[in-house]
Amino acid sequence: MSADPTADESADGDDPTVEMAEQAKADEPELDRGLVEAWAAKMISNPDRAYRATFYVATIFFLVTTLFPFYWLLVVALTPRNNLSEVGVFLPAGFNPAAFIEVFQTLPFHRYVFNSFLIATIATVAVLLVGSLAGYVFGRLRFRGRNAMLLLVLVTSFFPPAAFFIPLNRLFNTNVDVLRPLISAGSLYNTPYAIFIPLSAIFLPLSIFILMTFYSQIPDGLEDAARVEGTTRLGALFRVIVPLSAPGVATAGVLTFISVYNEYFFSSLMTDGRPGSWAPMLEGILRFQGEFEVLYNLMAAASIVAVLPVAILVVVAQEKIVSGLTTGAVKE
Amino acid sequence: MASVTLEGITKRYEDVTAVDDMNLEIEDGEFVTFVGPSGCGKSTTMETIAGLTLPTEGTIEIGGRDVTNLPPKDRGISMVFQNIALFPHMDVYDNISFGLRLRKYEQEEVDRRVEEAADIVQLEGMMDRMPSEMSGGQRQRVAIARAIVRNPDAFLMDEPLANLDAKLRVHMRTQLQQLHKELETTILYVTHNQEEAMTMSNRIAVMNDGELQQFDAPLTCYYRPENRFVAGFIGSPSMNFVEGRVESGEIATPGFDVAFDPGQVPELVAGDDVTVGVRPEDVYPAENAGELANPTRPIRARTDVLEPMGDQIFVYLVLRGEDASDAEAATTEAASARGADELLMSVEPDSDLAGDEDIEVVLDRRKIHVFDTETGDAVCHDILRSEAMGGEPAGPAGGS
Repeated sequence: MSADPTADESADGDDPTVEMAEQAKADEPELDRGLVEAWAAKMISNPDRAYRATFYVATIFFLVTTLFPFYWLLVVALTPRNNLSEVGVFLPAGFNPAAFIEVFQTLPFHRYVFNSFLIATIATVAVLLVGSLAGYVFGRLRFRGRNAMLLLVLVTSFFPPAAFFIPLNRLFNTNVDVLRPLISAGSLYNTPYAIFIPLSAIFLPLSIFILMTFYSQIPDGLEDAARVEGTTRLGALFRVIVPLSAPGVATAGVLTFISVYNEYFFSSLMTDGRPGSWAPMLEGILRFQGEFEVLYNLMAAASIVAVLPVAILVVVAQEKIVSGLTTGAVKE
Repeated sequence: MASVTLEGITKRYEDVTAVDDMNLEIEDGEFVTFVGPSGCGKSTTMETIAGLTLPTEGTIEIGGRDVTNLPPKDRGISMVFQNIALFPHMDVYDNISFGLRLRKYEQEEVDRRVEEAADIVQLEGMMDRMPSEMSGGQRQRVAIARAIVRNPDAFLMDEPLANLDAKLRVHMRTQLQQLHKELETTILYVTHNQEEAMTMSNRIAVMNDGELQQFDAPLTCYYRPENRFVAGFIGSPSMNFVEGRVESGEIATPGFDVAFDPGQVPELVAGDDVTVGVRPEDVYPAENAGELANPTRPIRARTDVLEPMGDQIFVYLVLRGEDASDAEAATTEAASARGADELLMSVEPDSDLAGDEDIEVVLDRRKIHVFDTETGDAVCHDILRSEAMGGEPAGPAGGS
């Protein structure tokens, strides 16, 4: 008894489909479909397959384009020096992991990496500090000329960095007597300042913009509460607003760090390239390019080594970003 | 514990004046409520007292100390916010102890005080919960604990119960009153809910359009409102207003006349345009008029909508006009401007009134308020000058 109605229902429900299938069957012999047409018809009748196929194609494409260069770096790095002319595309011509040690023996490459790391860290701290103050002002205070000033700040990031280079290079090569007690030569050339000052300035507008957006979303009540409880406006910024904007701060920080760490133009021109002159990682890689020979395998190995600190940082920061996002989600 | 004094506080934004020349003297240990419709400046007043915004003019004293230009943290106040404003990235303990830790108290002292505060608001055993894991009422209690833990001179509360559901709100209301009794600290409380204001406070500051309308005990505001705004705002449902004109020996309105003795009530000058105010509970069906010592003459009306509330029924009446006053009604130009022919009456639940029924009602003449139609100021209350209401000649209302 109980089975009958369901059976009836399902039969009713199936009816149109069955009809359609029959119709399709009847139609099919008349169509003389090519291979592509047949495939397209199959995809149209079953779009889920099409979506899945597209997903895999896109994913594989992105994975290949992003990861293959790294793989090929590894291939080149492992190829022994003598076989460099016949380096393969997928497999190294020989196996020479010693290149990763040679990198540090030929040059103090670790010093170059350290220089870059330090410069990027200082730049990130400076950018986050100044960016937080500016982001707070633009995001949370209302005053006359706010939009005009914000536009002005953003406009500076539209200039090509090269436009700043010549005046800055002249400036940093000038001996300033006031700086003599701090810097032996009295000029900023060959010091980390020569790199992190211009780079901080160039990457600051973007961070200001990111932080402004995040800070403006913190409810006023929280800042008011902090101020009544005993902080100044500045205290409220660093004790309440910044921790609650962790994802934004992490984003701005990671972007700045990677940009400064990877920067080419100022990094290659603001020092004389010696590790003791605070030359960054990039100079170190270029130093494997000799007068008569380019040590591609060592350059490749050095590149891989240089990527590691950033990769680790991003993985760590990513966790922070994700946890920050979830705390943000449950905010009142 | 401290008194709070506002002198000529004015807050002007570019094109609006949010608070206009506020003068208040709040005594030590008083529970004062700022009440008014949204946008009346009550929250702005609170913010200027807290120091979150600086007044354009005027001075603020807390405990006899001029704090007008001090930052919020140095004013000796604490505040509970409408959106509760717990720090979402800190647990309950860190939230409550935030202010103490900033002031570099000893760890033991912090622990002791936090425990004490948590005890008062019944939050024991929740110290390591995050705000996101708590219910609205619990969060509110944390916010209150955070406010009391520092032993401030005065508490400021800006609509602290607005985001709670109705049942919890009533519960927290009593809790706040108990808290006030226990701590004996000055409390300044902002609400747009006149019921909260009536039940909790020692005195109410009624505000409208940035101006202080009346600053008195709740029942004074209820029985002797200084102007039409206060009369309409305090009391629920609100007072009926009917515009009319003073004639010799009576106030004539399009729907009815109210007789008075000109010798007893000199404030009523013949020819003045006045508004008669009467609360719904002071309107009675004519058959119950026997209970009243001084009813008006019967007023003919037709019932419209009935709203049974359980303990009473609100009846909307449409006045049909007295035959005698028809001619006069025509001459009273100011009348009929706004629903002047409507009255709200509240009757006992056992009443057998139905909708669309012709009845006669009377008003209690002792409970009639008269306001100047133009200025809205009260002209007089109780047009009989009966002993029961204390028959001082003009009353405080006459002056303003």
